[in-house]
Amino acid sequence: MHPARLKMRTISLCLALCGLLASTAIAEHPAPLPVPDSTAGTEAEMKPYAELIEHSREKIPMVPIPGGTFLMGSLRREKGRGKDEGPQHEVTLSPFWMASHEITWNSYEIWMSDTDILRREALGIKATQRDAVASEFQLSKPTPPYTDMTFGMGKRGYPAICMTQHAARTFCQWLTAKTGRYYRLPTEAEWEYACRAGTTTAYHFGDKPAPLGEYAWFLDNSEEKYQKVGQKKPNPWGLYDMHGNVSEWVLDQHLASAYGDHAAKNPLLIPTTLYPRVVRGGSWDDEPDRLRSAARRGSGEEWKEQDPQDPVSIWYHTDALWVGFRIVRPLVEPTDGEKAEKWGKTAPPQIDEEK
Amino acid sequence: MSEKTKTTSTRRDFLVKSGTIAAATTLVGTSAPRVHAAEDNTIQIALVGCGGRGTGAAVNALSVQNGPIKLVAMADVFEDRLAISYRSLSTQLTNKVDVPDERKFIGFDAYKQAIDCLKPGDVVIFTTPCAFRWLHFTYAIEKGVNVFMEKPVTADGPTSRKMFELAKKAEEKNLKVGVGLMVRHCKARQALAQKIHDGELGDVLTLRAYRMAGPTGSASTGPAPKGMSDLEWQIRRFHAFLWASGGAVSDFLIHNIDEGCWAKGEWPVQAIASGGRHYRGTTVDQNFDTYSIEFTFGDGAKLLVNGRTIPGCKTDFATYVHGTKGSAIFSTAGHVPARSRIFKGQNFNKDEQIWAYPEREPNPYQEEWIDLIRAIRQDETYNEVERGVKSSLVTSMGRMAAHTGQLITYDQMLNCDHEFAPDIDKLVLGGPAPLLSDDEGRYPIPLPGLNPEHEYEV
Repeated sequence: MHPARLKMRTISLCLALCGLLASTAIAEHPAPLPVPDSTAGTEAEMKPYAELIEHSREKIPMVPIPGGTFLMGSLRREKGRGKDEGPQHEVTLSPFWMASHEITWNSYEIWMSDTDILRREALGIKATQRDAVASEFQLSKPTPPYTDMTFGMGKRGYPAICMTQHAARTFCQWLTAKTGRYYRLPTEAEWEYACRAGTTTAYHFGDKPAPLGEYAWFLDNSEEKYQKVGQKKPNPWGLYDMHGNVSEWVLDQHLASAYGDHAAKNPLLIPTTLYPRVVRGGSWDDEPDRLRSAARRGSGEEWKEQDPQDPVSIWYHTDALWVGFRIVRPLVEPTDGEKAEKWGKTAPPQIDEEK
Repeated sequence: MSEKTKTTSTRRDFLVKSGTIAAATTLVGTSAPRVHAAEDNTIQIALVGCGGRGTGAAVNALSVQNGPIKLVAMADVFEDRLAISYRSLSTQLTNKVDVPDERKFIGFDAYKQAIDCLKPGDVVIFTTPCAFRWLHFTYAIEKGVNVFMEKPVTADGPTSRKMFELAKKAEEKNLKVGVGLMVRHCKARQALAQKIHDGELGDVLTLRAYRMAGPTGSASTGPAPKGMSDLEWQIRRFHAFLWASGGAVSDFLIHNIDEGCWAKGEWPVQAIASGGRHYRGTTVDQNFDTYSIEFTFGDGAKLLVNGRTIPGCKTDFATYVHGTKGSAIFSTAGHVPARSRIFKGQNFNKDEQIWAYPEREPNPYQEEWIDLIRAIRQDETYNEVERGVKSSLVTSMGRMAAHTGQLITYDQMLNCDHEFAPDIDKLVLGGPAPLLSDDEGRYPIPLPGLNPEHEYEV
């Protein structure tokens, strides 16, 4: 244990209520890994920072997204618009940080294949208290696949793909425990708000798809595969590949009529069925109109078609070679109760029968 | 043939309509063709080994659309595996699953009881770890039922010799037997193999096969949890133990090795190999983390195979063919789709591509079942066992070369006396496992050079 951290914990222990209650709380929420610029009390104090994954060489760059109000969805006249994109409506969002890049295999594989644990074992490094909490979301999660999940498209620097929403959610739980900072998938509203970055056009660079090649990997330029993240121009808020490369998981259930009942502030349609759930942004395998800021797509059972095992895995969408995700961290971390009731809530429970 | 005539056709109709089939059946010899009874053309299925792949295979079997088919019996050593499997199957395929509790069998003898629920002409699915294959197959042949068996079908020399004998017996009885090297049923690979065999690549000099995909299945395994017996653990985590599965080489690399041999059109005569264990931590399995195998064919051509289960590394899961007139990607990434294609040069340059399989590829896991069930209904000669044993044996040859550090020939592998689980027919729940741990809970592992004769010390 690092002496400074031990000290910090001792202080917080003294500040906490007392006795058993306090020590339980400490065990479940060990102090965060110190990372420069990662703390902010107000929106004005939020800075870009690079989250660290301990016992690896990987960093996840995060950029601040100011709170605000925007028009979610699209108007009927928008070219290529889906019926599920309306009515256009006003939504207000609290500030958060968002990963500037899609989560890469570099980060995902640490969780998926426990390479931080391998490194600790190989080099004789002791696990931290955070690691002990993280192991709950890591050991035998996910179960090892039977195939090369990159499908020969490349690994280092490329986006992680083929994960179920459950896997992406579990990765976030693990990362939260591993860093001591609360991470989750964005809501659909947060995703669109961040993608638009103040714009109101079909794409964050305008209404016409002509310049798409400068900003995105899609059917015309992807050479039938995903590409390394962050090679194209970012959007006005510094987010890369919001259009194209891989579609990105958000927390919401997909419901065509969702926007009619959307809450005005921080809306989230908590999933109650496994399918369909929303992915956003379109992919290397899509036509331009699927990459629009407002375009939505729901997941389906057929995304597991080539899984030769039954019951099919709860971790892999073996046919969704164009689905990935990125993460967010709200400025104000919700309470455990709010997480249980809203942000982390999902049904039906995903039970791994392979174990 | 329309769907209607297909489903209402009887065995007799087929014989009347098809002179060639009638003639073929008379060639089989003295034993009568053991097909399903003419008055009821329902094919009944029994599932022996209710893990993920077994259940998946049952789904594929029950999804074949050429006549009535139903699952009637299930068997496993573990009640929980059977329960999960039954729940999934009966939810997805309600009308085709007829397995009341009295036809669910648990234990090492359960396979017999499940097979006893079948009549000649029905099909039993063997998807247990391969150690049990010859034992179960023996009984299926005795009972005259058709078989689908997962790969690999053997992991050592002695059981390979047994399986070659059993293959002949099954042939003599005109049983239809499929082996789960499903990519042999892939339309794209079939089209490419034909072109290679027709000489479109010239002489095939080098083949390369890769399955470097990070941790896979249960290949990496820690010690048994408290309260679980060695035997139960070794069966549940069968990729970890050579007696059960042949380990990572036999279970994972066999597909790509088989593709290479298929493309070349023959079986290799010898192998040398290297490999090692890197990040082992608390794991107790018998596998290496990397394998590099060089197979040599009779004409001197080479098949180079690389397997790696270390995470964080470059991945590849593909098979490539290089000939004097060009090259080919036999399979691109994993099993489906193959995206088979031919190139003029040796670099797979896109602008030098001269052929690619033009259609959408059907799922070979389904195709292998369509082919097997059709063979049963139409009484076509159908027995993939000999090929499956050769493929398994060649794979074992590469594995043994790595594990012993020696050059191993095909004949040495075939005649090798090390039977990994000689008492497989005597296992009992609660009894000893074929592999015993030492006082510290460690299992014997391969020691290349130090154990030059055997893959591990017994």
